[in-house]
Amino acid sequence: MANPVPSACCVVLAAVVVVYAQRHSQQDSHIQYERVGADVTMKCGSMDWDAAVTWTANGTDIDDSHLNGSYLILKNVDLTQSGQYSCYEGSSWHLKYQTYLRVGVPPKEPVLMCRSNNYPKGFYCSWHLPSPTYIPNSFNISVIHGTREMVCEKDIFPKNRCHIRYLQLFSTVKYKVTLTVTNALGKNSTTLTFDEFAIVKPDPPESVVAKPVPNNPRRLEVSWQNPSSWPDPESFPLKFFLRYRPLILDQWQHVELSDGTSHTITDAYAGKEYIIQVAAKDNDIGTWSDWSVAVHATPWTEEPKHLTTEVQITGETLTQHKHPALRSPGYGGPQH
Amino acid sequence: CALRARDSWGIFAFLCAALCNLPAVPALNGTEELGAGQSIQKTYDLTRYLEHQLRTLAGTYLNYLGPPFNEPDFNPPRLARAEQVPSATVDLDLWRGLTDNARLAANYRAYSRLLCYLRGLDGQVGTVELRHRLGHFCSSLQGLVLSIAGVMSSLGYPLPAGPAGPPAPPGAPAAPNDFLKKMDDFWLLKELQTWLWRSAKDFNRLKKKVPPAVVTLRMEARGF
Repeated sequence: MANPVPSACCVVLAAVVVVYAQRHSQQDSHIQYERVGADVTMKCGSMDWDAAVTWTANGTDIDDSHLNGSYLILKNVDLTQSGQYSCYEGSSWHLKYQTYLRVGVPPKEPVLMCRSNNYPKGFYCSWHLPSPTYIPNSFNISVIHGTREMVCEKDIFPKNRCHIRYLQLFSTVKYKVTLTVTNALGKNSTTLTFDEFAIVKPDPPESVVAKPVPNNPRRLEVSWQNPSSWPDPESFPLKFFLRYRPLILDQWQHVELSDGTSHTITDAYAGKEYIIQVAAKDNDIGTWSDWSVAVHATPWTEEPKHLTTEVQITGETLTQHKHPALRSPGYGGPQH
Repeated sequence: CALRARDSWGIFAFLCAALCNLPAVPALNGTEELGAGQSIQKTYDLTRYLEHQLRTLAGTYLNYLGPPFNEPDFNPPRLARAEQVPSATVDLDLWRGLTDNARLAANYRAYSRLLCYLRGLDGQVGTVELRHRLGHFCSSLQGLVLSIAGVMSSLGYPLPAGPAGPPAPPGAPAAPNDFLKKMDDFWLLKELQTWLWRSAKDFNRLKKKVPPAVVTLRMEARGF
């Protein structure tokens, strides 16, 4: 057996090092959270009340008027007073205590939204705080379906979003989603209760294209695609809503289309530029998507014939043809 | 409960009419006039119409039941007794894999059963207006049941023998108290609503999978 004395020494030495390191790290990494408007009293570690100390805030000395003995008093703190506070022994300038003050507020009721843009696969929920707390917050979401608690998988991006896969379809039991936000100063929560069908809202249609129709001055051909997030348009077909107006007018015209991903507008005003948008909805359930990205198009117009000017010069009539290159561009060609 | 006599007669009459008219049909000119496709579309439209009607009816009925049944967030746990009402809830892959026959049969059985239960409400309801609405809805729902039967027969599928499961005894487990009775009514309406949403999807699938040509082929095979 090894000599116990040197082993014991090692153990004691190790213990001393650990304790010293702990105390030191406590001084360095101490964080203190306080509410805006609160009164904060900081003690200089284990120093007596009547010890002579100097406090600094982010390296700058703090005036004695804020001291009560060796305690630092901060009244009615505001956000600008967040920072590192250090306490030094008067004469030796020995660091006795250090803390990081973070001023913030407890969380307000969070805003929660749940939506199924990929029915019947599942749904996602996303949330945010209506106003900042200025300190770190943690979010916890719970989804209850009848008696079963379901796991909402957090998305990496965007943050503050999670998704759930449906295990069953056509459920009569509502889903209850509760979001709790917690920080060092308090907590708050909100709950949403909904039916499977109520939250169905597809993404807007994609690749909307509008083209003039050759030789038809009042027509525009519009085509689009199902949103790529909608997994099964065969069994769960979408219907569409098209709206269009000339740029110069405010009033939209609407067309609802129960199938197909194209439509020809036949009552466009000749020569006017149009703005066109499309929205999608499951044929039977849920709500309309947001409007798609707007596309612009102008109906086909006839190319002007060569202009002729007649000039009479002393009894002779000269006919002059306008040079084709001088015709203004943009007529009759497809708009993008 | 078993289908009432007049429902069976109704179906029988419908089938008779369909069969009797068959020889009179000229060589089909390719239109959907008598195609299964047309009756599937009609059935789909009926489910949408009923869903719309139910929204108004349910609102009125739940108000008649009073709180908490008419509160939008009311989300009670399902009691065992509510299991008697056929549920539309189904596993996604199972639903996708249903054969046309199974899909139609599930709808037929569910609505036959739901119709029975709805008729059970009729006599006890409060206001005349509500009774009238309920009666109108029951007639429309019966039309749906017949329409589904029509689709099944035009596709050559046998009608399911009767409502699935053992028929409830005449003095069917009545709710022991008023609150539980109202709970039963609540779940009945909820299941009806969910079934109508599900049927829209069922008939969408059927529309895509059953072309009118299927009926044409059958007719030719029978030598008409």
